Amino acid sequence: MALKSVETPSLRAPGGTPDASERELLERIARSKDQAAFRTLYSSYYQRLSRLLSRMSVRREDIEEVINDTFWVVWTKAGEFRGASQLSTWIIGIAYRRALNALRRAKIRPVSDEPFDEDSISVMSTDAAETDGQWLAQGLARLPVEQRMALELTYTLGHSCEEVAAILDCPVNTVKTRLFRARETLKQVLPALAGMSGENS
Amino acid sequence: MSPRIPDTHAEAWAMLPWLANGRLEASDREWVEAHVAQCADCRGELEAQRKIATQIQRQASPNTGSEEQRSFNKLWARIEASEAATPAASAAVGGQPSRTSRTVRWLVAAVVVQGVGLALFGFNAMQNDSSRFVTVADAPTERLNAPAVRLVFAANASMADINTLLTHQGLSIVSGPGTSGNFTAELSVDAVASGASADSVAAVISKDPNVTFAQPVAR
Repeated sequence: MALKSVETPSLRAPGGTPDASERELLERIARSKDQAAFRTLYSSYYQRLSRLLSRMSVRREDIEEVINDTFWVVWTKAGEFRGASQLSTWIIGIAYRRALNALRRAKIRPVSDEPFDEDSISVMSTDAAETDGQWLAQGLARLPVEQRMALELTYTLGHSCEEVAAILDCPVNTVKTRLFRARETLKQVLPALAGMSGENS
Repeated sequence: MSPRIPDTHAEAWAMLPWLANGRLEASDREWVEAHVAQCADCRGELEAQRKIATQIQRQASPNTGSEEQRSFNKLWARIEASEAATPAASAAVGGQPSRTSRTVRWLVAAVVVQGVGLALFGFNAMQNDSSRFVTVADAPTERLNAPAVRLVFAANASMADINTLLTHQGLSIVSGPGTSGNFTAELSVDAVASGASADSVAAVISKDPNVTFAQPVAR
């Protein structure tokens, strides 16, 4: 294909909160189909969506498709966003639902059935932080995708409980329950953490 | 209305992840922090959750630097192709021209001037020879199955640059601009006779600095 690069523009949205800046970009897309604004918005989400989707066990070859399907919606529906929620929850929510569809199409079970392999951890590294990271990676892989997403959205992307609920399209109490269960599961596979916390209620 | 003050251990326990990430609403943060201050179990759990948060953030992200541009190019080509396929619908949805760059305005102006010129020429010709009509419709029109390319010009491309580029490649613009500033240009009969194809021309002009997008049109 003879498409020439549309380089990442140096364009930076004007000040204000990240959401306000991103909303301004969206308005430019809705108002005048502004390609530079679209490129900037795409760039600001590409990395976090890639990470989120890989955490969902979306196949590498499907990640690009999910991201582009998401931004196809952003391009075509920009004028329909009414601002009832954060722009980030709208965009990430679209990506989440597209990813679930991709997982169903690929018949991927997003939860590992493999038994937890403690020996593989002990021989991987003697560095404490690195070992904790390896334990955590194995622990995360054992979580159902909904719990993994709740953790990722809370701890990596820093969303509030209400925002996570909006993205995952579920009640706030469901988010709390998913995180509660995820924490319990991780505690079983992270020995340092298991000893760190007291008995829960 | 006074805020609800839940003071149960279970409720505070459930809120700890958002105390750890700093996203608790002020009204909740107050009572959760008050509970944590006098609950050793919650303090231990808060410390554990902060450690998990740090570890999750440290987990390597996929390296997507080079993939992002390629991925965006694919999406943009899809948008261009869609809007070229349904220009009327896209225009109706967009409501306004998609691109207000100097280039697009010049090209629109050029088409208008060309039309007016041809109309005037037609009028004069009609005065001289009523059997011969030349109208706007005589402007370049699409030839059935003629090889064509879809292209978008750089925002800083001058009219002279564009004219030179089109002339050298034997191209004539037959439609555009689309909602994303895209034009369709056909290869002249002479260019085709000399061996040029939509693929070869698209490949050449895509390297031209005055062009940001070039793709053969499937016909």
